Amino acid sequence: MTRLAHLWDMSRCIACMACVVACASANFPEHMRSTNPNPQWNWLASNIRVWWIPVNGRHRVILTQCMQCDNAPCVKACPTKASHYDAETGLITIDYKLCIGCKACVVACPYGARWIEPKSHMPNKCLATECTERIKKGLKPVCVTVCPANARDFGDLDDPESSISRRIRGSTTIKLREELGTKPRNVIVVRGG
Amino acid sequence: MTLRISRRDFVKIAGATLALSSVPFSIGVASRVKSHSVSRLEVVEPREVVKTFCGMCGALCGIQVVKVNGRIGYVEPLIEHPQIGLCGRSASAIWLWDSPLRLKRPLKRVGERGEARFQEVDWDIALNEIASKLREIVAKHGHKSIAITHHDVWAYYMPLFSYLFGTPNTISHVGMCHASGTVARRHVLGAGGPPTVDPDYENVSYLLLVSRTPGTASMGVLRRLRSNRKVRIVVVDPRMPEIGLGDAEWIPIIPGTDAAFLLSLAYVIVEEKLYDEMFLKYYSNAPFLIKPDGRPLTEADLVENGDAKKYMVWDAKTKKPVDHKAKDIDPDLFYEGDVTLKDGTVVKVRTAFQLFRERCSKYKPEEASKITGIPAETIRRIARDLALYRGVVDDTWYISRNGNDYDDARAALILNVLLGNIDKPGGLCYMESPKFPSAVTVVTKEGKRYARTFYDAEMPEELFADVRVTRVDKAKYKATPATFDAVLDAILTGDPYPIRALFVIGTTITHRDMDVDKIREALKKLDLLVVIDVLPQDIVDYADYVLPDTIFLEREEFASVKWTLHGAVHLQKKITDPPKGCDARSALWVMFEIARRAFPERAEVLGWKSEYADYHKFEKFEEELVEKLFKKLADTWKIPVEALKKEVEEKGFYILKKKEYMVRPYRVALGTPSGKCEIYSLEALDLGLSPLPDYKPPPAYPLPKAEDEFYLINGKGPLISAHALLAEPMRFFEHIWRVWMNPKDAERLGIRDGDWIELESLAKPGKKVRGRVWITSMVREKVLFTYSFVGRTSKLLSEKHFAHVANGSINIAELNKAYVIPIVGGGASNTSVRVRRVG
Repeated sequence: MTRLAHLWDMSRCIACMACVVACASANFPEHMRSTNPNPQWNWLASNIRVWWIPVNGRHRVILTQCMQCDNAPCVKACPTKASHYDAETGLITIDYKLCIGCKACVVACPYGARWIEPKSHMPNKCLATECTERIKKGLKPVCVTVCPANARDFGDLDDPESSISRRIRGSTTIKLREELGTKPRNVIVVRGG
Repeated sequence: MTLRISRRDFVKIAGATLALSSVPFSIGVASRVKSHSVSRLEVVEPREVVKTFCGMCGALCGIQVVKVNGRIGYVEPLIEHPQIGLCGRSASAIWLWDSPLRLKRPLKRVGERGEARFQEVDWDIALNEIASKLREIVAKHGHKSIAITHHDVWAYYMPLFSYLFGTPNTISHVGMCHASGTVARRHVLGAGGPPTVDPDYENVSYLLLVSRTPGTASMGVLRRLRSNRKVRIVVVDPRMPEIGLGDAEWIPIIPGTDAAFLLSLAYVIVEEKLYDEMFLKYYSNAPFLIKPDGRPLTEADLVENGDAKKYMVWDAKTKKPVDHKAKDIDPDLFYEGDVTLKDGTVVKVRTAFQLFRERCSKYKPEEASKITGIPAETIRRIARDLALYRGVVDDTWYISRNGNDYDDARAALILNVLLGNIDKPGGLCYMESPKFPSAVTVVTKEGKRYARTFYDAEMPEELFADVRVTRVDKAKYKATPATFDAVLDAILTGDPYPIRALFVIGTTITHRDMDVDKIREALKKLDLLVVIDVLPQDIVDYADYVLPDTIFLEREEFASVKWTLHGAVHLQKKITDPPKGCDARSALWVMFEIARRAFPERAEVLGWKSEYADYHKFEKFEEELVEKLFKKLADTWKIPVEALKKEVEEKGFYILKKKEYMVRPYRVALGTPSGKCEIYSLEALDLGLSPLPDYKPPPAYPLPKAEDEFYLINGKGPLISAHALLAEPMRFFEHIWRVWMNPKDAERLGIRDGDWIELESLAKPGKKVRGRVWITSMVREKVLFTYSFVGRTSKLLSEKHFAHVANGSINIAELNKAYVIPIVGGGASNTSVRVRRVG
């Protein structure tokens, strides 16, 4: 089985925003000149969200994107099966031909990983078009490729020899909000190996 | 494969086929990825990718631009490059290309300076009028009254512009960046600017960052550092730089007290004998005998006709003073005793090491703790870890902060000397020189002197007399690499001689330099101000003429790689023309054309032909320049030029010399007077500076005392550069547009997150600005932090495209007062303020 997932290493990330901006330029070039491309997040047209959180007297930054849950609430909530697991990649994918813009998926996602495109009212999330094409060509998503801090990876959790699996084995990792039963695939490294 | 194609045809060809200068990015890389990650991959298709280097800040990291359907798509790092990108600035390059803010056509001022009222004019009008004005100015005040200031863009060509315009006054940003550190590097290590020595990031075991953060510029350094799995990183800074978001340990320090901290580390290392004794004895001037007058004991002191450059040490074997270069000696690091001089006088000498030890004893950890705010036990722990791990104290970069930074930098470098971790794997290492040809060299031919360019044009001596006149900054600050503040003084006072014309190329002095009121006053006094840039930096509002430059995606440049220990070169490729409607032209063409119109003889002897006025024909000249550089490098390194070109074309770079360790000072003498690492700087002594570092409180501003008074400090970050900040994505990153305040200070003053505060300068009482607060523990108590280059006020920044200009960021130059370290020439951008909540 193939279970593709992102890894984000908070012990390495320096919030340089290369990933956020790269996602916008690669996946949403049509929004380059939009003054308010993502009003829901007050953000760029990008699938990566940045949270500044004061924790124990110290500011931390957390970067999130679609967690590629194995028990995804967005897939369950979608009335038209537009949000579904892609047969080829196993990634949660949106079929825009089926999407009716009801936004149930946006509400259902406990990670706030979806945003509404302001003109079409369609939902967007990671992975978008260019990154999906990239992984089909044997490349990594653009956020992983650009990261200068060695804070990202992407790959198959079910392949024990994948770089992501090896990195997980050598690190201390967490997943977000597992208590909700979403079974998020994405991994956060809290202490690197 | 040809190296280049015609500039204007490029875009046409690129649209139809793979560009000649792009390389299919296919099987090799994909199969590398394939073996590690996605298991069910199918066809790998070639992508259209152009290898180049980035120009969104001064680091120049290796990147490649992915073209999607023939247009510029997005930016990726160039993985094989010795300095791999990228950061948020680089990723934003796409927005820069056809930014609605982009300067599109030459502008001529029609209002007063500062009003930003312009009319568009064509290139000929602008260039002819500038040339005419320059001739008037030169007739009255001489060529030396022309000054040119810049940052990293076009830096290579600045000596050429000096000769083109006949002025010595091409003066960069360095006085407000790394000047204090560069002078320290010369004095302690015989090195030059920041990349000339650097930690061996891939191999360092423990990295102490004091006023240098590899998360800011030089992202290639961060990538190299993060490939190192075992490094421990400790960052000491009044605010937590971005690298502290991860696993680096952040130690908050009171601003302006770095020297006390570093000398305290040295105290622990010396007293606990954690230093490298052998290194100090044989590769440093620690054992040099120093007389009571502070000067080193030399052979000239001891014998008639003795050599004043033979520095003496005490040989523990023979119990006599001997030349430090003598063989088979055992220099005593601790000698104190009497020596009889040649005239019979007996003087007491002590070693430099003893004097250094005495200096450090002022900064026992308990004392240093009171000055720095860092607990004594933390100081001891860091000192012991630094020694135990044989770590490195980074050699500083942006350090023009408090007016005492030269000694901070010396103390940092000396720590590395104490540990003997110089030019070793994992140590503080010298960069291999790529021996890149200088833009201009003065040569003697048949008894006459000529200024010869890298492309072999020659200017006879009678045309460059003014260029050899003392530069205005060196007249005031003897040791400085560059101090632009001296140009402002020369404009305002005429001392040492008047500056009447100023070119500002790719830099914004209203933010870069100190005291914006002084800057504005100077700008208004000039006879001519020409700004060459790509976006409306605040300086543009004051220009007589604004000339739109090309951006890095639109031109080719061959340069040395900056932030690598290897000696390497790389090629920036032209990927696109300026967007439709944007008549931007290369600053190289602009400066030559102005010179041709103003001083035709000068331009002609430097190889410029009148036909190059046609911008298309200028391409030929540019091609010749690149060809010449390739040829000269190939000759220097004795490699076939075709092989050099081929590899540069295919890979984007060429490593001419891989880093060789254990060379300096072991086999090659350093550029210090002794040839060794100098903990006791002989050059400083000759300049009238103290030969040993010391701590003194920041002289640049009054220290904050009252409850509502704060240090106001500034710094860089991975999103910060003058032009990157005007790219649209930046407006969403709120943390860069706010003034950072510690939660405890905020609570005490009743200030909430997002509140507006008024900051009144303590250095310039009465001067006030307003800013919005971000409450964060990422800044120390009693300290406010702002990023550099924010706080924009250009009237050309329209609300629509730059809505966040009203969001509350501040320009620290509104509040600081100009202070320059005497002799050294480093400026100080920090200041102190009184704060009150206003809304």
